[in-house]
Amino acid sequence: MPPKSTSKLFTLPPRFLCPAVPRNFIRTIRTIQPRQKTPLDRFNTGHGLPILGSSKTAAFLRKEPMMPLRTGALAIKKGMTAIYDPATSKRTACTVLQLDRCQVIGHKRRDAHGYWAVQVGSGTKEARNVTRPERGHFAAVGVPLKKDLMEFRVKNADGLPEIGSIISADLFQEGQFVDVRGKTRGMGFTGGMKRHGWAGQPASHGNSLAHRVMGSSGGGQGSGSRVHPGKSMPGRMGGEGHTVQCLKIMKVDKENGIVVVHGAVPGPKKSVLKIQDAIKKPWPEIDLSIGVSGMGSTSEKLEAAV
Amino acid sequence: MSLSAPCIRPLAILKQAFRQCRAERQQLRSQRQYATAAETYPSLAPRFPPPSAGFRPSQAIKQNRTETGLTKIPVVPPPRSTRKACPDPIAQITTTQLKTLDPTGARTRLFSPTNPERAQVGDILLVRLKNSEPFSGLLLNIRQRHSSIDTAILLRNQLTRVGVEMWFKVFSPDVEGIEVVQRAAKRARRANLYYMRQPRHDIGSVEGVVKQYMRRTGGPMGGRDGRGAGRARGKKGGKGKR
Repeated sequence: MPPKSTSKLFTLPPRFLCPAVPRNFIRTIRTIQPRQKTPLDRFNTGHGLPILGSSKTAAFLRKEPMMPLRTGALAIKKGMTAIYDPATSKRTACTVLQLDRCQVIGHKRRDAHGYWAVQVGSGTKEARNVTRPERGHFAAVGVPLKKDLMEFRVKNADGLPEIGSIISADLFQEGQFVDVRGKTRGMGFTGGMKRHGWAGQPASHGNSLAHRVMGSSGGGQGSGSRVHPGKSMPGRMGGEGHTVQCLKIMKVDKENGIVVVHGAVPGPKKSVLKIQDAIKKPWPEIDLSIGVSGMGSTSEKLEAAV
Repeated sequence: MSLSAPCIRPLAILKQAFRQCRAERQQLRSQRQYATAAETYPSLAPRFPPPSAGFRPSQAIKQNRTETGLTKIPVVPPPRSTRKACPDPIAQITTTQLKTLDPTGARTRLFSPTNPERAQVGDILLVRLKNSEPFSGLLLNIRQRHSSIDTAILLRNQLTRVGVEMWFKVFSPDVEGIEVVQRAAKRARRANLYYMRQPRHDIGSVEGVVKQYMRRTGGPMGGRDGRGAGRARGKKGGKGKR
């Protein structure tokens, strides 16, 4: 909007006195600033600009330094037991995990998918229980059907073993540290005392029917007379992903696929867990090919199956 | 409402049908004495020959039935299963550990449910320890959690007229030996003898019984375990001089 001023009327003589003088020229900020070549220049585009922090690229670069160098393994939780150290007589509680038919199913590549990852499957399924699209996914790369499929992020292409390689328990060394990921036990809909560890209310002193209730959910007028976002309340508990970091490997048995880790891991028995090198410890100084054995020619297997 | 003639006439056929039926039934009745049940009721006879031995429908149906006419998708056979090779890894780890922790199998036998000579609640036991004084007491409870490696016993005694209870892990390397000092006169009718903590049931100190046992087995701390006994004897002797 051009500025309107009364003094403008008197800067030029009236139109009927001198019609040749241009009258639509008004001095504004636009008359001073340089002309833009293209309308696109209004936006901050072009090379050499910083990457936005909320972009996928930024997320990849942020995580890259702590990505494990090699793949992990899928295991089944078998239960807990104890291991005695005969020298110190120290008893250590530990969890027994078992690898079963753990195999590399696919790769995720930076150029095609945006990140580096190894797709690993374990267990097996009967072919008649698997849909054609899913069977096609396995047949395309010439690997057997798998019950569970998961991905392990790795740092770069060096950490991608050949498709069809069998991952055995000796991927992990005794004394090494691993992170174990799994799904916690589902508790269903629980009250606040169980879910958030609230103290509850007194059993007596006039308390009636309010021994385990949440009490107040927030302040009144001073804090807006509303329930603030994120207020912890009763609800579904468990059944969500959980990671236990830096668990020591106590024992490895390649022949039986047994991996024994120190302490507890999430989930009930028979649940599937992801084991990978601990990101908060130095990487184990071993060859990348250890624990990952080639399956042989995949095309040969396919021909045999047909 | 009366039935008209054309309506009744078809019913006349029934007469013939009933006669036929009666004749057949009589014939069947005469046959029944000799014939088997399958022949008696043709509807019960199997229409198809029975499946051969070892037939499994799950193996017979390899692919979905809806796939007729579609390209066959090859399925690669799965590799060797470690789960089948070792169905119970916890038991495997326990046995490998017991080879070093209990090489003779004596402790396993002492608490094995199949052993009639096993230690039971109500017995008085003596536990020799590697790094401290031996402890004896009445066996209140035998607890096994997760696997047999975690078998533990609860002993109760009175030291200086104060009730003392101690849990011991049976297979712990700290425990040098476990001896049955005195068997219960009668089999306990409970798994946990926690009622023995009550003053009217508490047997008090078992020191006298243990001393008598030691005298019988030789030496103040004598026992089946030579090494433990010798070391303990020296200690006890020193105490006696004072």
